[in-house]
Amino acid sequence: MAHEIIAATNAVVVLDVALPGIVWGWIITMNMWAKSIGTGIIFLTFFLLKKYPEQTGFIRFPAVVVSIVFIHLFLFFTVIDLHQMFRFWHIFFHPHMTSAITIGAWMATGFVGLLLGMAYFIYMKKDTVMYDKLLGYTVILAVPVTLYTAGLMAQSTARELWQMPTESAQMILAALIAGTATMILLGGNKFNDAIKKDLGIILGLSALAAFILYMAELIFGPMKAEEVAAVLEYIKGGEYTVMFWMGQLLAFITPMVLVCLSLKKQSYYLLKIAAVSALIGLWISKHVWLVIPQLLSMS
Amino acid sequence: MQLGFLVDLRLCMGCKGCEIACKVENEVPLSTWRLRVKYVDVGSFPETKRTFTPLRCNHCANAPCERICPVSALHYLENGIVNIDKDRCIGCAGCIMACPYGAIYIDPQTQTADKCTYCAHRVASAMMPSCVVACPVEANIFGDLDDPMSNISKYIQQHQGNVQVRKPEKGTEPHHYYVGGGNVTLNPLASFRAEGHSLFNNLTHLPVGGHH
Repeated sequence: MAHEIIAATNAVVVLDVALPGIVWGWIITMNMWAKSIGTGIIFLTFFLLKKYPEQTGFIRFPAVVVSIVFIHLFLFFTVIDLHQMFRFWHIFFHPHMTSAITIGAWMATGFVGLLLGMAYFIYMKKDTVMYDKLLGYTVILAVPVTLYTAGLMAQSTARELWQMPTESAQMILAALIAGTATMILLGGNKFNDAIKKDLGIILGLSALAAFILYMAELIFGPMKAEEVAAVLEYIKGGEYTVMFWMGQLLAFITPMVLVCLSLKKQSYYLLKIAAVSALIGLWISKHVWLVIPQLLSMS
Repeated sequence: MQLGFLVDLRLCMGCKGCEIACKVENEVPLSTWRLRVKYVDVGSFPETKRTFTPLRCNHCANAPCERICPVSALHYLENGIVNIDKDRCIGCAGCIMACPYGAIYIDPQTQTADKCTYCAHRVASAMMPSCVVACPVEANIFGDLDDPMSNISKYIQQHQGNVQVRKPEKGTEPHHYYVGGGNVTLNPLASFRAEGHSLFNNLTHLPVGGHH
């Protein structure tokens, strides 16, 4: 509709504040990317320990270390993006419980506590029973920790592109892709063929599902709201087109193809390339989706 | 009590008196605005006209900025004003992402979110907001929407059918009304906006303090 109005009226903004800059930029992309790895590796650890308890016991310690490292990276990038980072404690002492940020901060804190408990029991006590018990609670908490960013994006009323439940599906899929890719790189050649096959299938199917969601939004999103149509112009020939397709290629298309090839040729090497490609592409895809709605003027 | 604003766009002549009064009253730093007047040129020469639209926080009844704020820095006052506590704000910019009116910015001096508060400090002393006082044509009308005898309530009554809010589809229930508005003045997508295209300056991006 807006195109027709502009054509009919030749309306031009000649004085206003300048176009808004990007407020949530690469630091928030790092935040989401690191969180995907931090929670995703827990999902995969839970799955492997349940399905292959005999063959995958060795991943208990490295998996929890990777999760701790990436969740702390996520927290680090969360805090440094604040314009008043030394007031971070306000979230805990002046919490506003309608905010996804508050819920996320509390959930992430509990998640970190459980991870540290798991690390303690597996490293200090060599207690796999307690580790596995805590893992059960951790994997449950990993779900809201993964999803709260989708809630935050949904609460961003001004950014029509970020919709629920699509974003929650994208967040879970991103965690599965990142977790699987990290597990493939972490496990080295210690996994047997059945486990490698399972990891490949999870990676390939998650990439396929995420790709379908992106394409669905790209094609059908503009039919629902003119704001979405205007935002998507940035990746339909606009300044973020190359970056968007680079992300899609690396995060989803390449891993899907390489997973198929690796399953056919029984090549773990191809699976590792798919994992690296997915991790790099995921960052790019998330960054584009984060930035483009911010380019639209609200006034 | 529910305070609200109404701007009669048919009266506004784009003098920016309100903008300057707001800057002075609230010590708004350079390059940021709590209130500004948008100019839109319509038509082709010689059949052209210029429209003026004062833009400020809409003090929504269902404010997305209040909901998303993790520390209640953005909060409701009893008179319906969406106020901000800059000492509590952590600068997460969630409110900037949430506000569909682009009314919130990061104050470059305090590094916290800031926006129009309907001059809550003046209202508390029974004074009108500074922009209302400064307007030479009384295009800004401020008052209690719950009081049927207030100027704003009567104005809305008298102009029923020509009163609009910005982006009603967002469900924010804004308490800021416009008389004589249209798509060109109220819908940001209905006018062409070139980067850096501005009458009096050549800024290309608003320095909102984000990380690129």
